[in-house]
Amino acid sequence: MTLRVTLAAFAIFTGFASLSPAADPLPTEADYYKILKFKIPEGVVLEAGGLELMPDGKLAVCSRRGDIYMISDPFAENPAEESKFTLWAQGLHEVLGLAQRNGWLYCVQRCELTRMKDSDGDGRADLFETVSDGWEISGDYHEYAFGSRFDKNGHLWTVLCLTGSFTSNTKFRGWCLRFDENGKMIPTCSGIRSPGGIGMNYEGDVFFTDNQGPWNGTCSLKHLKPGSFQGHPIGNKWYDEPGVVAAMGPRPKDPKSGSRIMTEAAKIPQYMPPAILLPYNKMGKSASGITADRSGGKFGPFAGQTFVADQSHSTIMRCFLEKVNGRYQGACFMFRRGFSSGNLPIMLTKDGSMFVGGTNRGWGSTGRQPFALERMQWTGKLPFEVHEMRAKSDGFELTFTKPVDPQTAGDPASYKMGTYTYIFQSSYGSPEVDHTTPTIDRVVLGPDGKTVRLYLSKLQPGHIHELHMPGVRSKDALPLLHNVGYYTLNYIPKK
Amino acid sequence: MHRLVFLATLFGLFVLSSVVSQAAPTHSVVPGFERFHAAGKGDAALGGQLLLGELNCTSCHKADAAAAALIQNKQAPVLDAVGARVRPQYLRRFLADPQAVKPGTTMPNLFAALPAAERKQTVEALVHYLASTAKPAHESANRKAAARGQGLFHQVGCTACHGSVGTDAPPLATSVPLGDLERKYTLGGLADFLANPLKVRPAGRMPDLRLVGTQARDVAHYLAGGDLAAANVNFKIYLGSWGKLPDFNTMKPSATGTGDGFDISVRPRAQQSGVRFEGFFRVVSEGDYTFLLHSDDGSKLYIDGKLIVDNDGTHAGTSKSGKTRLAAGMRQVTVDYFNAGGPFVLRVEFEGPGIKRQDLGDVMSLTKEPPKPKTDKKDPDAGPFVLNADLAKQGKKLFASIGCASCHQMKGQETPAGAKTSLAKLTGAGGCMSAAPVKGAPHFALSGPQRVAIAAGIKKIAAGSAAPQAEDLIAQTLTRFNCYACHERNKLGGVEQVRNALFLGSVPEMGDEGRIPPPLTGVGAKLTAAWMKQLFDRGAKDRPYMQTRMPRFGVANVGHLVAAFGAVDKIEPVKTPAFSRKPKSVKAAGWHLVGNRALSCTKCHNFKDIKSTGINAMDITLMPKRLKHDWFHRYMVNPAAFRPGTRMPASFPDGQTLLKDILDGDANKQIEAIWVYLADGRRAKMPFGLSRASLELVADDEAIMYRNFIQGAGTRGIGVAYPEGINLAFDANAIRLAMIWQGGFIDAAKHWNGRGAGFQGPLGDNVVALRGGASFAVLENDKSPWPAEAAKKLGYKFRGYRLDKDRRPTFLYDYGAIHIEDFPMAVDSEDYPTLRRTLTLSSEKPVDNLWFQAAVSGNIQAGKDGTYTIDGALKMKITAAGKPVIRDGQLLVPVKFGNGKAVIVQEFDW
Repeated sequence: MTLRVTLAAFAIFTGFASLSPAADPLPTEADYYKILKFKIPEGVVLEAGGLELMPDGKLAVCSRRGDIYMISDPFAENPAEESKFTLWAQGLHEVLGLAQRNGWLYCVQRCELTRMKDSDGDGRADLFETVSDGWEISGDYHEYAFGSRFDKNGHLWTVLCLTGSFTSNTKFRGWCLRFDENGKMIPTCSGIRSPGGIGMNYEGDVFFTDNQGPWNGTCSLKHLKPGSFQGHPIGNKWYDEPGVVAAMGPRPKDPKSGSRIMTEAAKIPQYMPPAILLPYNKMGKSASGITADRSGGKFGPFAGQTFVADQSHSTIMRCFLEKVNGRYQGACFMFRRGFSSGNLPIMLTKDGSMFVGGTNRGWGSTGRQPFALERMQWTGKLPFEVHEMRAKSDGFELTFTKPVDPQTAGDPASYKMGTYTYIFQSSYGSPEVDHTTPTIDRVVLGPDGKTVRLYLSKLQPGHIHELHMPGVRSKDALPLLHNVGYYTLNYIPKK
Repeated sequence: MHRLVFLATLFGLFVLSSVVSQAAPTHSVVPGFERFHAAGKGDAALGGQLLLGELNCTSCHKADAAAAALIQNKQAPVLDAVGARVRPQYLRRFLADPQAVKPGTTMPNLFAALPAAERKQTVEALVHYLASTAKPAHESANRKAAARGQGLFHQVGCTACHGSVGTDAPPLATSVPLGDLERKYTLGGLADFLANPLKVRPAGRMPDLRLVGTQARDVAHYLAGGDLAAANVNFKIYLGSWGKLPDFNTMKPSATGTGDGFDISVRPRAQQSGVRFEGFFRVVSEGDYTFLLHSDDGSKLYIDGKLIVDNDGTHAGTSKSGKTRLAAGMRQVTVDYFNAGGPFVLRVEFEGPGIKRQDLGDVMSLTKEPPKPKTDKKDPDAGPFVLNADLAKQGKKLFASIGCASCHQMKGQETPAGAKTSLAKLTGAGGCMSAAPVKGAPHFALSGPQRVAIAAGIKKIAAGSAAPQAEDLIAQTLTRFNCYACHERNKLGGVEQVRNALFLGSVPEMGDEGRIPPPLTGVGAKLTAAWMKQLFDRGAKDRPYMQTRMPRFGVANVGHLVAAFGAVDKIEPVKTPAFSRKPKSVKAAGWHLVGNRALSCTKCHNFKDIKSTGINAMDITLMPKRLKHDWFHRYMVNPAAFRPGTRMPASFPDGQTLLKDILDGDANKQIEAIWVYLADGRRAKMPFGLSRASLELVADDEAIMYRNFIQGAGTRGIGVAYPEGINLAFDANAIRLAMIWQGGFIDAAKHWNGRGAGFQGPLGDNVVALRGGASFAVLENDKSPWPAEAAKKLGYKFRGYRLDKDRRPTFLYDYGAIHIEDFPMAVDSEDYPTLRRTLTLSSEKPVDNLWFQAAVSGNIQAGKDGTYTIDGALKMKITAAGKPVIRDGQLLVPVKFGNGKAVIVQEFDW
């Protein structure tokens, strides 16, 4: 039914369906990326909140129930059979982040940043040191704390959810803080609403996902540039705390409710517009974990790109980021569906394995298991996908993972572009607004056979540019595995 | 009098120049016209058609059946008992000039062209006639009721049409004006009207918001309570020592006064005193009423002098009730109460037809009759109103002759036959349509666009009216009844941007879906005809998260929408799958699919009266009653296509199921099985995962820990259970041992089901909360007060804990430069385990005047060998180098360092 509706909405393309090879069924996501399930032992409730690879090769998984398990042979060909779970720590408070460094395993639990060690070598942690409890909690379940790994400067970052959606009842709710390994705390960003994950891109810059709600028309991937304001002004009262202005600079003006993101970005220098908006329902409903592909090709053709999970839709999305006007922006694409539970933490290792942890307690998910741990692996088969989608002064440049069929890929009628944005407002969420339909005036193929330049009648700064490509075929006559891209065009690059 | 009859016969024939100068009235406000047709927007003829109905033109100018169906005239209020409802002083001003008194009203001015003296005379007679229809439904204004009413008014949907009240913001052009309700209505009259608006205004433009119990009354008190006087009962106080209630009638009160409800704190002393409360209770509908007295000591309740509840005698808190049948009207209530000694309490409650048990003190009135009229000469409504029977008689005749009865239904009045020009023959100019008042014609306050529209509307009807297409009929009805104020259909209407913030929800994360009423696009394919009819007939409040209610418009008014929606809204039919298995087994599969091992529908949806732990989406058992089968199937596959932005997940992406091992992995079969299961409605078996089993945490052979929101140990609580059967909770925010208890440790169900909101206390028993702030403090001398500041402010820092082989924690914290290791352990004894806590302090520099606070209680008894009894129950033994002292409810231990170290052992036996 979904398919039928989509086609009806873009009825102009229904004719292309006949172009696909009729005999063989079209390849699916599973042909390119397989999902391997870990077998979670009876009695273990692994509502995964964070993942980390330990120096001894085990996989550490922390849970919302406050346990940390060590899993042996995480890269086993058949993890359901070969990997074993042992309880390493218990009794912690909703742990949503793990990072190991210098013999310690750090975790961000709701109440504090803790580091742990198994000092007697019996396989269980026995030393739990409070590195920092520099933020406050009021007892509201919504006050989650997510933690990153250590960055290139030796800092571990946390994003702290507001008290509910509309208030910041205790210190630093709605903030990003970073810490050195001794617990020195540096206020880093304000304006956070409800994070679902925090992580780094390939360059090591730190991003988080924020979720639809007040001042967030839809979920998004946001760049945590130190000193920046991320959009929700309710937590900005903590600028009055000692040392904050010294670390952050002056408090930003509050944005005007009912405005648009880029209108306010032009007025508020500290405001960092979302790098990539993830359109509600089209690309999920609860953006969560973030990871970058540092495998150098072992995970397929997307080395250097960023992946974002969605808890509600049990999916992984792929993000292509570029810097325009000195700020990150870019495009997102569906990548892989069909995970077993609500995806929360994800980790793509250097050898090309993506670990995906899931939980759907309190928030339902398409994947039906209450919790899950899975590993996604590239099968080695090259999918036909948009590799990169870059903004140009007068359109977009697409590169594909495989050579394209010049006839379909060079035909403007193979593409359709629509643009829209969201209301930037203090009330919850937003419908899509300000729709425009630019025409694709010209399509020019690059000499490498994998590049396509789209020239548009008009670009809309501040809009998502939703590009449908149902007509495009690869040289070997395959349609795109995912034929929609969503580019968040905050800034139009100069010529 | 004769002259008036004469005038009436000439109605509409003469055009006279205006003799009455009038403050320029604003025009009649019809929200649908203001929104879609004002300033020349929209189709003028359609706008005119709307106005012809809303201004009730066809009451005089008869329309043929086809035109009448199009126009659907809005019947004016039924005036049968208007005297109970509307104050005569207001009517006097209103009838003389409706627009001036209530700007925006659709009531025309009948007397605009009359000379002043004659107008006054006519109006006076009519007012007496109207006032003679019933006695005023008086009630004393009540502050508590008004506060509740304010909340209701701004939640249930009143503001969708009327806008917000009590702000300085100018009213919105599309808001139906309320006028000065305090001057217009008696409180009782407005309450009765709001409880059933369709009785007085059958045309349904003011729908029934389903205000149940005291809600209508609450809203009335908010809207018309004025400067609320808190007092609503009289009291007389008596002092004396009695074993049962004396006869207060024969006694002289020591004091008298008025108060708010049955508040026994008005007595100057709690013991050896009594009080008589007197006041009035307005019985709205005749029926059986039950009154309840709960008192310590005795009390009695009388209605109109008759004893209804006897709860007399000297006793602890005791409840008694009595039932009586009461006729409508003001009933006198007397409550006598006394207390001889000891504790004291009085509660007076009642329940009656349609009224749930509630505080009687809330609904009392100080007086039987309305208070004395206002005496301020400047007040237009000042002066008494004394009903004059002769004037009323005159008024009754006038009512008929002027033509009031053409629009207003009134007992004892006949509706005149349509003597006026028929609608189709009107020219659309002159008479009622004149800009200036015309003698003998009602004068309508119309805007320019309204005049143009009406003329166009008449012209169109004169040209002959074909029955409208269903979609047009729908649009016209949604405009007429202002459904568009809440609902959008086919991109038309919906909540206006300026009104958006007035729509509220109780679950913020539902966003607009949780507060804006659903769109009606395609609703005919969605809702069953029976359900839709029920919505019109009864209204609804099926969305728990949405504050706005679906009001009752009445099937007679909007029932035609059922067929119209059904005719135009279609959906692609779904082929019902054939099952090879037995129906019972299909239903069982549906049960499984809804539960938490499959689709987890009840994670968000309520199931009958059981609330989900998530967002409290609509009771899932209602679905087959509400929804059409095909729509349900289509919606399950792609919710967002039907409801953009919905939280409802797409459980069957691309029409495929993720549950391959149920019903052949066939999505269509699975959806059908859910339908079959839910079709049992309230008889459906409870889905799996809804009952919240306890999750008791047990320390089997080593200690276990539980960090969470722990009641009694704060937001950074660390609970520890020891296998010996004792437990403790350390407060890592206050950095102190907060609680010890025996038996069960913690039930984690609250935190480990759903989102885990709230604090969880100990599961076991003998819970001892260890009072006091910081554990250690440096005091200047032994008289210095213990510091009251939070631990972190005093220089405390929580550093974590270390676990031993038995997983028992040693808590680590610093107080300034002092490191503290705090190791509690369970000690098994023959009877029951005790707790031994060893505190080891170390400091590089010696610390003088450092004290440990071992206990805080007003009851600390020192025993032998360093033992103490706290609160008569907890035995504590202190072993330390310094000698403990008891002072100001504290047990303090001086900390003596030796070689940079100090050890204190504290043992708890309880």
